[in-house]
Amino acid sequence: MNKLFALLVAVLVLFGAVLAQQTPAGTNISNQASASYIDSAGQARTTTSNQVITVVQQVYSFSITPDGTTATPGQTRNALPGAPVYFSYTVSNTGNGSDTINLTTAQDAGDSFDLTGTALYLDANCNGTIDPGETSAITSVSLTRQGTPGASACVIVAGTIPASATNSQNGNINLSGVSAGNPSVTDSNNWARATATTSAALTATKSASPSGAVAPGNNITYTVSGSNLGGSAASGVSVGGLGGSGILIRDTIPSGLVVSSLPTGSAGAGTVQMVYSTNGSTWSPLAVGNLPLTGNGTIAVGMFVSGTGAFFPQTASYTFSFQATVPSGSAAGTTYLNSATVQFNNGTSDQSVTSNTTTNTTASRFSVAIGGSGASATDGADTQTLASAFSGSAVSFNSTLQNTGNASDSFTLSLGTSTIGVCTMLQSDGVTPLSGPVGPLAAGAIYTVVVRCAIPASQTSGGSVTLTATSVNNPSGDVATLLDGVDATTLAVTTVASGFGVDAAHNTNGAAGGEGSDPANDSRAGYNPAVNPGGTALFPFEVANTGQNPDTYTFSAVLPSGWTAVFYPDSNCDGVMDAPAPAPVSGTGLLNNGSARCYIAAVQVPAGASPVDATPVSGDNVQFVVTSTTLGSVSDTIRGAVDVNLVAQISLEPPRTGTITTPGTLTYTHTLVNSSNQSGVCSVAGDGGSFGWTYQYSLDGNTWSASLSGISVAANGGSQTIYVRVLTPAGQPIGRTDVNTLTTTCTVGSATVNDSVTETTTVVGGDLRLTKTGVSYVGSSSTVRDANAATALPGDTIEYTVVASNIGTGNLSQVVITDPLPSYTNFVSVSATISGFTSGTVLYSTDGTTWSTSAPTTLAAGGSIYVAVSTNGNATIEAGDLMPPSATITITFRVQVQ
Amino acid sequence: MRVKQWWIVGLGLLLAFAMAQSRNDIRLDLKAFRVLSVQEGNRTTEKLEAALDARPGQLIEYQLNAQNTTDNTLRQVALIIPIPASTAYQALSAQPLRLGETLVTAEFSFDGGRTYGKIPLKRTIKVLENGKEALKEVEVKPEEFTHARWVLPQMSAKQTVLLKLRTVVR
Repeated sequence: MNKLFALLVAVLVLFGAVLAQQTPAGTNISNQASASYIDSAGQARTTTSNQVITVVQQVYSFSITPDGTTATPGQTRNALPGAPVYFSYTVSNTGNGSDTINLTTAQDAGDSFDLTGTALYLDANCNGTIDPGETSAITSVSLTRQGTPGASACVIVAGTIPASATNSQNGNINLSGVSAGNPSVTDSNNWARATATTSAALTATKSASPSGAVAPGNNITYTVSGSNLGGSAASGVSVGGLGGSGILIRDTIPSGLVVSSLPTGSAGAGTVQMVYSTNGSTWSPLAVGNLPLTGNGTIAVGMFVSGTGAFFPQTASYTFSFQATVPSGSAAGTTYLNSATVQFNNGTSDQSVTSNTTTNTTASRFSVAIGGSGASATDGADTQTLASAFSGSAVSFNSTLQNTGNASDSFTLSLGTSTIGVCTMLQSDGVTPLSGPVGPLAAGAIYTVVVRCAIPASQTSGGSVTLTATSVNNPSGDVATLLDGVDATTLAVTTVASGFGVDAAHNTNGAAGGEGSDPANDSRAGYNPAVNPGGTALFPFEVANTGQNPDTYTFSAVLPSGWTAVFYPDSNCDGVMDAPAPAPVSGTGLLNNGSARCYIAAVQVPAGASPVDATPVSGDNVQFVVTSTTLGSVSDTIRGAVDVNLVAQISLEPPRTGTITTPGTLTYTHTLVNSSNQSGVCSVAGDGGSFGWTYQYSLDGNTWSASLSGISVAANGGSQTIYVRVLTPAGQPIGRTDVNTLTTTCTVGSATVNDSVTETTTVVGGDLRLTKTGVSYVGSSSTVRDANAATALPGDTIEYTVVASNIGTGNLSQVVITDPLPSYTNFVSVSATISGFTSGTVLYSTDGTTWSTSAPTTLAAGGSIYVAVSTNGNATIEAGDLMPPSATITITFRVQVQ
Repeated sequence: MRVKQWWIVGLGLLLAFAMAQSRNDIRLDLKAFRVLSVQEGNRTTEKLEAALDARPGQLIEYQLNAQNTTDNTLRQVALIIPIPASTAYQALSAQPLRLGETLVTAEFSFDGGRTYGKIPLKRTIKVLENGKEALKEVEVKPEEFTHARWVLPQMSAKQTVLLKLRTVVR
């Protein structure tokens, strides 16, 4: 036999009696799937499924031993007629939940006699006899699930052989069981036989102390006792290896148990000798030097009571006792069965009577260790330390959980208060979350628990968390005590370094990631874009994630009031706006650590912005701030200098025409507008025309002077009305036309600009004076945009007022007033009022020949409106229509700018 | 007290963990069914019932429905069905997945999901042979498996796959 086989046998001997355990009823089988993958952005990711739970249902199963039939009963008891007999049975629950087994007995109809006074008793200590305290008859036993200490029970069937029975007659009895949980589960092949005898009849009962569960390393004391309950004295038998004849009480040492001390015993007659056998057939005297003896299924110890003839009288008794040790490594639930046999001669033949069987089970020890990361766990307090980690990252600790007990067990894991962020417990794969207890784990088995902690982005110092394992079956104990139900390990990070950083830099080289390091790259010497008001200055820059974690950054800008900044991606990083222009962005989106991306900040200078001259580096006037969205304290700022050009622009409008009598006075108005981005100081002077007429100027229409100076006009559309008064001397020829050119000269910042406008005045012979003024309104509203109609935007309404006055002393005849529709306008309405006429009707025309009392509602582009007053009542205009002195016709003409 | 220095974990590993954050790009739906044999006439067919409960010895079929919910292709998708400790994997029940031209066969782990391999899985044990310790490679039995996984080279947008395996309640 080679050594491998020997090893195999040893393993079988050690564990052979351990039954395959079923999962206990009520256990939750939970399962959760997981997936890992790489997403479209190249990031490794994981996800988990829902959890499904299946509850284990109860299976009913039990057995009664020893088995037997009426022909070959499982056990036989010999006794005198009228004497009681006791049959020992073991009822075992082999199901996965608690059950009650209902027990009944039945007598055989085909035998010599029925036992009388049959009853069932619970043999709590399994010693085969009804002890005081075990005298109540039972009809059932309640058993816990297989593998637990209460899973089996010893039951004694008691009965009495009728006094009328004669020698050698038999009576059979059967013990049947029915599961209360599932009545279809039964066991009814357990026949036993009682035989009436008047010959010698030795009994043998076996007891074990302790009965039932025994802790590993402890002793079991086996005691075999009996007496001669027959009708005559017993004789001995001859035994191989021993001289003479005698009664042999023999007991095979249960496999695995160790006998280290000499047995003890006594007998009511004969000479007692302790013996042993290594092969079961040849016996030798047992001495201390033969010890220890380890049970292997064959080695037996015994007591030989030697004597001559029928030396062992009626009622004489014997007792034999020995101690056996349960190995310290015995697995929980290992069962040790033991029975003894007594061999004697009853006067006619050799007899062999077997005792009841005792059952001992190795008790469970539930203990746990957690700690370390190898093939075995560290019991007691221990710490696993990670020297350094980055904030915002996740750290993982692998801890070994070991079942240090001798029985299958499950373990509850829990995390204490964490100072290294939110920690989760994962299964060995490092992905699937742990839910519920770990296990069941076989004795000695290990399991790797992964604890992953996400260190907060804001954490700056180290920390730790305690992982505690608790035995489900023995949730008591403390960390310091070894081999108990509680153990813990501390998972620590010594230092936490910031995992976040950003560097924003001016993009001067047209490549990502090629800029110098902070802070030298924050200003850009020599780069000084100059723009007109309303223009845009561009600043190419790049953003590099210098941290240890992917991060997202937002952009913001610090700018002069009224300025705005918009950010555009620069995908090719060339520092030039991509074509077509990309959509603006407010930040970077997710940027992997170690990588950089380029952007362009477009600074929008508002229309009308004042001139600015900024010096790069020392006088930067714009800032761009790149801020981490994860950790607001992580940001970088770059600066730039934007110049705003001076734009100088002045206008003096509109040119005026008018008629004047001689002598006469006429007043014109012009509007001086400063469209520069800076205020200006202006002077106004005219050339006085060609005929020596007097031209006077005023800012308010009251105070007149030969010229104007020092007029401040605000920037960006500030305006000033300039009044011009013409005074003609008497005697000017009718039809003379004089043109006065009015020039304004303005100083705007460093620039000087000027503009001119004319007043064209014609001397008229008649006495009709025409004046025309205009007012522009915002859209169709009544809000005045410009009181002189100097400014109008598309959609605005302009209302012109034409006043015709007879300033002479005689009547004027056939007065027709014409006004053309200005270019780029649409006709809105026209109306006229008159005063100073004794009687008259206002007539309108669009061609000067066809007249109507109602005003036209349309007027084609290029057309003119004609207004006159009929005083002779013939509804047309002719020489007979007279305009008396001081009469006026006022026409209101509204148009809309296209 | 035993202090172990753990600073062997490289930067890359830390980053990998940082990246491994859960999102819902893949929706996983796991179902458990009891497998029952039903006699119909003279033939026996199988019937699946929701496995809210089961008895020792009964078969449980786990079905994992995985869907790529994104509009992008995902790569190296490893789908894992653990085999609960109270159950034993039934040999040959993890069916291969046909994915176009490729056939993805299941890989198994017997060490709690740390390592995976194709069947037959081997482990090395120490034995005492002729008085000497020797290393011997033995095959790992299906009932020792702890996890099964299928590694899909890629999973296209909105694609759904169904994976199955069976276990016996111990």
